[in-house]
Amino acid sequence: MSQATNLSVFEIVGSSLCVASDDGQKVHDRIASAMREGRTVNLSFLNVTSITSAFLNAAIGQLYGEFSEDAIRTGLHVTDMEQDDLALLRRVVETAKAYFRDKEGFTRAANEVLGDES
Amino acid sequence: MKFLLPSINHDRLGFQKLIELNVAAAEVSFEDVEVDMSSVTWLDADMCAPLGAILYRLSAALNEIRLTGIRPDVEASLCRNGFLSHYGREKVPDRWGTTIPYQRFEVKDDRYFAKYIEDQFIHRHEMPRMSRGLQKKFRESVFEIFSNAVIHSRTRMGIFSCGQFFPKKHRLVFSVADLGIGIRENVRLAIGKEMAAYQAIVWATEGTNTTKKGKIPGGLGLKLLREFVTLNRGVLRIVSDAGYWELSGGQVKTALFPNPFPGTVVNIEIDTSDQHSYVLSSEISPQDIF
Repeated sequence: MSQATNLSVFEIVGSSLCVASDDGQKVHDRIASAMREGRTVNLSFLNVTSITSAFLNAAIGQLYGEFSEDAIRTGLHVTDMEQDDLALLRRVVETAKAYFRDKEGFTRAANEVLGDES
Repeated sequence: MKFLLPSINHDRLGFQKLIELNVAAAEVSFEDVEVDMSSVTWLDADMCAPLGAILYRLSAALNEIRLTGIRPDVEASLCRNGFLSHYGREKVPDRWGTTIPYQRFEVKDDRYFAKYIEDQFIHRHEMPRMSRGLQKKFRESVFEIFSNAVIHSRTRMGIFSCGQFFPKKHRLVFSVADLGIGIRENVRLAIGKEMAAYQAIVWATEGTNTTKKGKIPGGLGLKLLREFVTLNRGVLRIVSDAGYWELSGGQVKTALFPNPFPGTVVNIEIDTSDQHSYVLSSEISPQDIF
């Protein structure tokens, strides 16, 4: 089993209000760095009181552009999240999966039109 | 130039009147702009956000803004929420505690905005008693509205907000206005499709449509707002470019103004007596998220 990295969202953002996309980016960068090293990440939302979809899109949604669904499922664990925040995260994850699937489809279609085989 | 402002409610006609002010002064610069408010017998305080945005745009064109003929009751109301402090009046304390003050933010001010909402809404005992679930939903909704303006508007002139509580009606209304490119232009740039301004708002509020490109996904903010307002039986109004979109009683109404608003306004009105628990019917396990 890979080694675990524990990350506190409250510590990274420095606030219980996780609303800004830029703050989500900071969380993303730490998760992605750890996952690139093959570590599992335990992401704690302890003491976080408000979360927006913009924050979660940047923090977690964009991981689907770099890592496979399997890698995220096995490598990222969230804890200390309220039920309605988990519901929001699930929506963000579903949207991100669809977004990157469509994006790949779009790129593939564009490449076919342009005759790019790479 | 002189513009006679009528009473302004937070409805389609109210926005129409503000757009007329914007049109009247669209090409004016280095002038004295007098907004004659002697006919204003009522101005919904939350409409200070779009009014303030228009006046800010005029002052950015180096016009001198003067608000004249304000009736004492209207003046008292607009001094309490800090709006008139921007136009030469003193701020007076909000004795009834029914205002969320008028304020202008830069797009980098997400945290400052969050603190403003915490200080002016969450931690004030005068604000309406709402269920914990409703309070959280409302707070997150206004954060979503602000984030939407930050991410999509491309404004260089800031974001304007203001709110008002109507205790007898159990309604809380909050507006966020920006001076950005608007939803129609955003959709055109994102998918290359020309559509009427109201159709662009419909497009942005439905399904998984998003104007986001690049490595960070998007497209949830307006849908979440729509779902919350429907559940709460509130009202959501969006004005962008020449488009008007209103969700009320679960029904959407749209209209096209003769001229555009110079950006986007999102106006949310909620029922503070709503006892809906906002608790999910089935438990979600963190293991089932990804």
